[in-house]
Amino acid sequence: MPYEFGEILETIRMTEIEHFDIRTVTMGISLRDCHDRNIEVTKQKIYDKILRYGKQHVKLAKEVESQYGISIANKRVSVTPISIPFDACNAEEFIEIAKILDKAAEEIGIDYIAGYSALVQKGMTNGERELIKSIPFALSQTKRVCSSVNIGSTKAGINMDAVNIMGEVIKLTAEKTKDNDSIGCAKLVVFANAVEDNPFVAGAFHGVSEPEIVLNVGISGPGVVLEAIREAGKVDLQQLSEVIKKTIFKITRAGELIGRKVAEKNGIPFGIVDISLAPTPAEGDSIADILKAMGVENVGAPGTTAALAMLNDSVKKAGLMASSSVGGMSGAFIPVSEDMGMIRAVQAGNLSLEKLEAMTAVCSVGLDMIAIPGDTAATTIAGIIADEAAIGIINDKTTAVRIIPAYGKKIGDFVDYGGLLGKAPIMEVRTISSAGFVSRGGRIPAPMRSLTN
Amino acid sequence: MKLSEEEIREITFEAISELGDKATPEAVKELVRRRVESMGGDYKLEKNDVSTGRVILTSFGLNHPGIVAGVTKALGDANCDIQDLSQKILGDFFTMIMVVDISASQKDLKEIQEEMNKIAELLKIKIYLQHEDVFRYMHRI
Repeated sequence: MPYEFGEILETIRMTEIEHFDIRTVTMGISLRDCHDRNIEVTKQKIYDKILRYGKQHVKLAKEVESQYGISIANKRVSVTPISIPFDACNAEEFIEIAKILDKAAEEIGIDYIAGYSALVQKGMTNGERELIKSIPFALSQTKRVCSSVNIGSTKAGINMDAVNIMGEVIKLTAEKTKDNDSIGCAKLVVFANAVEDNPFVAGAFHGVSEPEIVLNVGISGPGVVLEAIREAGKVDLQQLSEVIKKTIFKITRAGELIGRKVAEKNGIPFGIVDISLAPTPAEGDSIADILKAMGVENVGAPGTTAALAMLNDSVKKAGLMASSSVGGMSGAFIPVSEDMGMIRAVQAGNLSLEKLEAMTAVCSVGLDMIAIPGDTAATTIAGIIADEAAIGIINDKTTAVRIIPAYGKKIGDFVDYGGLLGKAPIMEVRTISSAGFVSRGGRIPAPMRSLTN
Repeated sequence: MKLSEEEIREITFEAISELGDKATPEAVKELVRRRVESMGGDYKLEKNDVSTGRVILTSFGLNHPGIVAGVTKALGDANCDIQDLSQKILGDFFTMIMVVDISASQKDLKEIQEEMNKIAELLKIKIYLQHEDVFRYMHRI
């Protein structure tokens, strides 16, 4: 037999019991050729182009799923940051574009389309200003559109004017979608050092240096890593790192295979595999459980950041060995609402916003899917964004804030979205003010890259 | 019959020392291939980068008579070629793994999977059919 009994059973166990799946196959479509002076023509061009490339996306991905016996949880589309090709539009026209994106997404049968975005780390054009202004309206009037704004980078510093605006935009988005637990905020990511090939919605967009069309894949598989760690038993941390790497190696290989096959079937180029450990609210599919299996009593205990750092690093090392097309975020995600273990840690009072912030310095993204009281000041949200962006630009890594100031809710309450977005307990935010600092505005200069102590 | 890794390594080292300075990766590969083929029999170097029409069938369940018969009959009817079969009983549990070539079958993988789902239900076992590539990618470099 070309494969050992154990090898075959290992694969079956991963896919059938331990929730190993491909989290997303995301088709990146450039919309840079879709502008027209007439907004109606623009909309038609966008719609036609997404349908032309994306019509078969879901069907072909499903075929690959059954061929390899590995499920693909999400089939999605990302587009060029909308503010770039359509810079001449005003806020009302941007909202029209959001609606046509929503319609195209529905037509091709996907749940989310991402790229209602602007990259403003250095400054804003008029179009970008208009797009950002339109975000709360676009997100409340559509179901499938996701938005992101990049407000900082290691090369440019942090655009604090944009950060302040985003504080207000997040608040307004929460209010506009208050009937659905402020769900608009779950579709809005504020980035520093955003990557151009990220397949993970809500923060995905099809970067300006990307080709006409590309297929990126994001793998998942916390459950597989969790089982491997449990099985390893009492070993030292070097050995544990080996265990994690071996597991990640295998799932990355499978992820790349699936991505390449879906791309091949679509007749489009394969882009990258994002080797992120992305949890889901399903039991056993949790990053928090991995950290606990590594030895901390609960997430939030001293040692958590170190454990997460090692996990994240091992994931990257193994992924890079397994594939030459690694990109995107590639690490461990630590969203709260999408991870049962995280939710429990918050409820037990073990995990605070501040500890989460420390953890984001070593995880793959940032403060993700965190619900805070609805009466949190916009300047406080701006302060949280600025803190997170500072971690990103100083450490030369991507950081993000996807925070939900749940309208009308307070500590002890929940927001509950069901499905992959999960549910989040409202977390405590310090009420001392950030206003004096953030409202200075301007730009935090780009950091230096030597003497980095 | 398959050569063990140890044997392949030995043949490769011989080839490298024989080629001396001319031992480019391509030359070594070619020489090793010729050596293996000249050994006669059905020794074959597995080509690692070519997708095959083979699938891996895995089935589990409580053991009872007729499982192998049920599965193999359906495969035979669909003109699938069983190339390898390995079966174990662990306590009351039955596990069977097959390498099946479906390239000559009139049915495609999806139809065979549907067929197997029916049989699995009938025999009260679980049957998974997956393309071989996924195992090759995960367990072979």
